[in-house]
Amino acid sequence: MDLVMLLNYGIAFFTLFVVNVFILIFLEHRDHYKERPKDTGKRPMVSIIIPAYNEGLYIANCLKTVLALDYPADKLDIIVVDDGSKDGTYKIAKGFESANANAPPSLRVFTKKNGGKGAALNYGIARAKGEFIATMDADSYLSPGVVNELLPLFDEDDVMAVTPAVKVKPDGSWLQEFQRVEYLLILFSRKLLSFIDSVPVTPGPFSMFRAKVFEEVGRFDEDNLVEDQEIALRIQAANYKIRSSMSAEVYTEPPDNMKDLLKQRIRWQRGGFRNYWKYRHLMKPEYGDFGMYFVPLNFATITAFFLMLGLLINSYISTPYYTKYIWVESFGLGIGLFTFIGAFVFITSTYFLYLAVKSFPEEKVKLRYILAFIFFYWFLSIGYNTLFVYKEFRKEATSW
Amino acid sequence: MERKVSISLYAWAFFISLIIFAVGVFIGFTLDSSNMDRISSTLGDTSSRLSSLQLLILMEGNTSAFCPVFTSQLDDIDKQVEKTGYELSYLEDQKGVFDPELKKSYFVQEAESYLLSKKVKSLCGDKSVLLINFYSNTNCTRCKDEGTRILEARDSLESAGIRMKLFSFDGDLGSPVADAFKAEFNVTSYPSIVIDEKLYPGYFDQNQLVNIVKGKG
Repeated sequence: MDLVMLLNYGIAFFTLFVVNVFILIFLEHRDHYKERPKDTGKRPMVSIIIPAYNEGLYIANCLKTVLALDYPADKLDIIVVDDGSKDGTYKIAKGFESANANAPPSLRVFTKKNGGKGAALNYGIARAKGEFIATMDADSYLSPGVVNELLPLFDEDDVMAVTPAVKVKPDGSWLQEFQRVEYLLILFSRKLLSFIDSVPVTPGPFSMFRAKVFEEVGRFDEDNLVEDQEIALRIQAANYKIRSSMSAEVYTEPPDNMKDLLKQRIRWQRGGFRNYWKYRHLMKPEYGDFGMYFVPLNFATITAFFLMLGLLINSYISTPYYTKYIWVESFGLGIGLFTFIGAFVFITSTYFLYLAVKSFPEEKVKLRYILAFIFFYWFLSIGYNTLFVYKEFRKEATSW
Repeated sequence: MERKVSISLYAWAFFISLIIFAVGVFIGFTLDSSNMDRISSTLGDTSSRLSSLQLLILMEGNTSAFCPVFTSQLDDIDKQVEKTGYELSYLEDQKGVFDPELKKSYFVQEAESYLLSKKVKSLCGDKSVLLINFYSNTNCTRCKDEGTRILEARDSLESAGIRMKLFSFDGDLGSPVADAFKAEFNVTSYPSIVIDEKLYPGYFDQNQLVNIVKGKG
């Protein structure tokens, strides 16, 4: 058996294995994965930190939804950290501060020299008064019940962070609708990962933490490209739990053009790869499923992706010249093991996507975007994965 | 928290993957066998057609009146033989499926087809160029490439109105027919080509082949 064949078999088996792990997790938890947590009635002080850099277009909407939260106003501590914006972000936020000065909830607006999102979050954390701290992006907005939905998930002392259902804002462009499908799939997958204590990220649009976790594991890494993932890995490394909610809704504004989308994904990929490399020491049994399955899975996936890309290119280049005389017959002759596994993976992945979308009936995802996702997402992922490796090798600078 | 590795989860996932993989291997194997059976059956059909044509040429081979019948039937048979050859090569190159006995049967058919083409060429004044490609799958680094160059040359000549019939033999397979042809044309190395019974040992690119066929080489 030659190397190419061996690699093909290896990748096919690896893909099958990963798909089957997710299917088994789903089957084990299919009856309760959508269950909403019971309200404990506790209403502790919650700080919400909103770092903002040139968010003049969005900050007002964001603050309106924060101020409209269905949560006791005297238990909310809202902090806006303007990160040296060059537009009217600070002025708009200050306007809300003034209008809100005489009544709870407390809204404080700070401005500082531009230093990046991590630094802005840390600036806010240093001034937070809450027992729980939520971090959120200034271009996101909240459903009124989000805090009430998330708090009950801190039901054990070692639960240090909780992630909400981050969704795409309604009525967006076709590219945003395309991402809506992806976000639902990510949400669904993250929920399944939470059952094996392997949630790898506390999303930037909104996440909630026990305040004491920042004392124990440290605050956000100010030099990190994806600081919301790095803090999650640090929490995992400290053997704390991160829970995931399917019902606490937060809406975000994803990129609405291909250039911005690629830029965002390349940043995620570069930052993600660096983070997993930094935390590669977690690949030990004492870190449970996270160390023995999830972290290695990330390295294996990126390796398999490039191997598969190489094999596809090799297969195209090495297609014998004579195939053009029998191209119809070659389809029939080519059917075999890989066609079967490919069909199995395709069908199960599509079913998985269907389950993800079906889990959020209120989202009303149009079929054409689901089909577009199934058939075109791979092209996008080839684009950003290739670019991420290229830029990483060239050590190109990047920013958030 | 106390972390755990869900060994039973991964063991089940591994086991299920193994079963699915095994089913895939079985399906692949069954389909490959079925393809080989079909090719074998096609070889049988083509063999009958070749025998019929041989008989016809033996009966009427002294007159050119039957040339249109000979050439038309031989063209059909040649196309089928060529297609069968490509299918066998595809299965061998792309999927590693190889049956030496089936390949030897195929070489017998190629030899019959070559000899009939030679006969029809002399009897009917057919101007087709007959090219035999001797290659080795075990002992030749440039043979695959040479095969491609020959096909490119054939396509190029065809667009210039020159028809070339192509026959290929693996000289190291142990096929008696291929060995006999090697001996007839004194083939000692691979790749080697024989164009209208003249031996050209070594590697030739597309242009060189075209020039040889056009008589400029």
